Amino acid sequence: MDAIQIDNFQKQYGSRYAVKGVSFSIHFGELFGLIGPDGAGKTTLIRSVCSLLPPDGGIIKINEMDVYQNISAIRNILGYMPQHFSLYQDLSVEQNLHFFADLYQVPQVSLKDKLEQLYHFSRLEPFKKRKAGALSGGMKQKLALSCALIHTPEVLILDEPTYGIDPVSRQELWEMLHTLQKENITILVSTAYMEEADQCDRIALMHQGKISSLGSPSQLKNAYPYPLYRVSGRDFFPLKKFFLKLPQVHSIQLFGDSIHISFAQKPNETDWEHWKKKTNHILTEWNLLSPSIEDCFIEFTRNSR
Amino acid sequence: MQRMLTMIRKEFRQIFRDRPMLVIIFIVPVIQLLIMSFAFTSEVKHISCLIVDFDNTPMSRDLIHSLHHTEQFDLTEMTTDIRQIDERMKRWQVQMALIIPPHFSRDLERHLNPQCQLIVDGVDGNTAGVALGYARGILSNFQEKWTAELTASSFHNDVHIIQMTERMLYNPDLRSQQFMVPGIVVILLTILPMMLSAMSLVKEKEVGTLEQLMVTPLKRYQLLSGKLIPFLLLSFFELFIVMSVGITVFKISMNGSYLLLACLALIYLMTTLGLGIFISTITHSQQQSMFVAWFSMIFLILMSGFFIPIENMPLLLQKLTYLNPMRYFMTIVRDIFQKGSSLRFLLKEAIPMTLFGLMIFTLSVFKFQKRVQ
Repeated sequence: MDAIQIDNFQKQYGSRYAVKGVSFSIHFGELFGLIGPDGAGKTTLIRSVCSLLPPDGGIIKINEMDVYQNISAIRNILGYMPQHFSLYQDLSVEQNLHFFADLYQVPQVSLKDKLEQLYHFSRLEPFKKRKAGALSGGMKQKLALSCALIHTPEVLILDEPTYGIDPVSRQELWEMLHTLQKENITILVSTAYMEEADQCDRIALMHQGKISSLGSPSQLKNAYPYPLYRVSGRDFFPLKKFFLKLPQVHSIQLFGDSIHISFAQKPNETDWEHWKKKTNHILTEWNLLSPSIEDCFIEFTRNSR
Repeated sequence: MQRMLTMIRKEFRQIFRDRPMLVIIFIVPVIQLLIMSFAFTSEVKHISCLIVDFDNTPMSRDLIHSLHHTEQFDLTEMTTDIRQIDERMKRWQVQMALIIPPHFSRDLERHLNPQCQLIVDGVDGNTAGVALGYARGILSNFQEKWTAELTASSFHNDVHIIQMTERMLYNPDLRSQQFMVPGIVVILLTILPMMLSAMSLVKEKEVGTLEQLMVTPLKRYQLLSGKLIPFLLLSFFELFIVMSVGITVFKISMNGSYLLLACLALIYLMTTLGLGIFISTITHSQQQSMFVAWFSMIFLILMSGFFIPIENMPLLLQKLTYLNPMRYFMTIVRDIFQKGSSLRFLLKEAIPMTLFGLMIFTLSVFKFQKRVQ
């Protein structure tokens, strides 16, 4: 039995498919990442899991319950943090928390402990009288997370929680998610930042409304089929041009400080020295590289692009 | 129930935290009432008047005197140059001119029916008509007085004058405030609930809080009633303020039943709150909803008989006003205030108003529920 089961889910807007036939399941207590660029269909999928969008096909189950047949039961065990900050900016931190506690009818007895725990967890205690609109981006996200946790949900769903906040707050947010995971909360989180995939137990790479691959981050990296080299040099553009002409090159991707090149056949040192001469020593460095999730994403979605 | 109360408390918090909104809710209506009821007056006073007196006898001076002695006319100048009239009128210096012909008093004494000429600036037709009416009244009084005197002195008794006695019912002093203030009550009960409900519902959508609310176990009817009840209460509070000001400051007489007024107001609020909900479903931002609300309000007000009496409109427009719920409530409120009408006399308005209210409210709620899905 899994916490969330998605079976052949489809959703279309007009005649355009936003999500076309997605199936996967998330185990209990798992931190599951939905990774993909903007427009991949992540938000549509997540909103449907939260019972906000009825599917056009397929079934979504949480705790074995069909989401659309048990809406009220689902909503009581579900915490959801939407992509955009969506709390009341003109209410204080405290009032927002109390408001959602009341909507979920958290008993007064346990509310005090819960609030204390959340304040401690989010470090928002000193700001509890401040209006939500006056918080920094990172603190807003922590408040939104706290509000989503006020009723102690079994399943927590976050739509791009780290979007647009600084690296430190991002790291803090992930640490908070790891803490929550230890409390046996099942977490589904989406992100467009590929490097955040490593924070998850398992990830699904989503592209153009489909899951292109699924597994733990290391599984995906091991599935990368080609030897990958990180190449640097004095000038990237002639280098890229040069490698594009080589028959054994499979793909070339420009990164900020280097070029990632995958080869259909693994080149040996003689090849590299040969190339170095041929490029008039523009080529300076080459190392065999273990692929990142971003490399995997680019490789696995190659055919559909 | 608990959840609804939570929503209501939150809504009040938000309203009281929003300074500009508070001003709109509490201060604007009072200012509106003060300004509008003074400004929208149909009374015509202080018409500047030019006299061209070619007669210049005690009798003609008496005629001028009787004009002068009223609140309605201000004598700006005496002249014997007729060309002055046109010039002064073009310069907006006079609105009316009275020409007394030569030998006026002699002719009157000889029963030769002398003719005076009244020239009125007709640009503002309404004022012109009223001014003409006043002047006629004064002239006929004058004639009556002098005829009586002349007849008495010469023992002629052949002038018969039909005398009319006037009595104004319900508003004996013809005070325009008595008519306008109830109209303003209606306007406030239209603007406030419609704008506030539309804007606050759209705000939840705009800011995204609606999405967060929808994942909570909060039911849609709880959401909607949590939104509408605060505005219902505020509207009644508003009604209370405006009526208190009207009764204490303007000495408006309220001749009908307060309970009846409150009940019918409640029914009317279904319409305006319903329109607010409807506007929130067809717009995406507060600006849009504000624009739509204003736009529809202008039509509602113009077609309600607030400024322009419905009887004066072309027949087609008159028929169109039957589609305007505000028209019914305008009549109801004015009747309750002035005539003290009981429900029996108001059924002709109350029934269509209730039907409109139920229809608009149900459809809007239905549309809202569908949109939120």
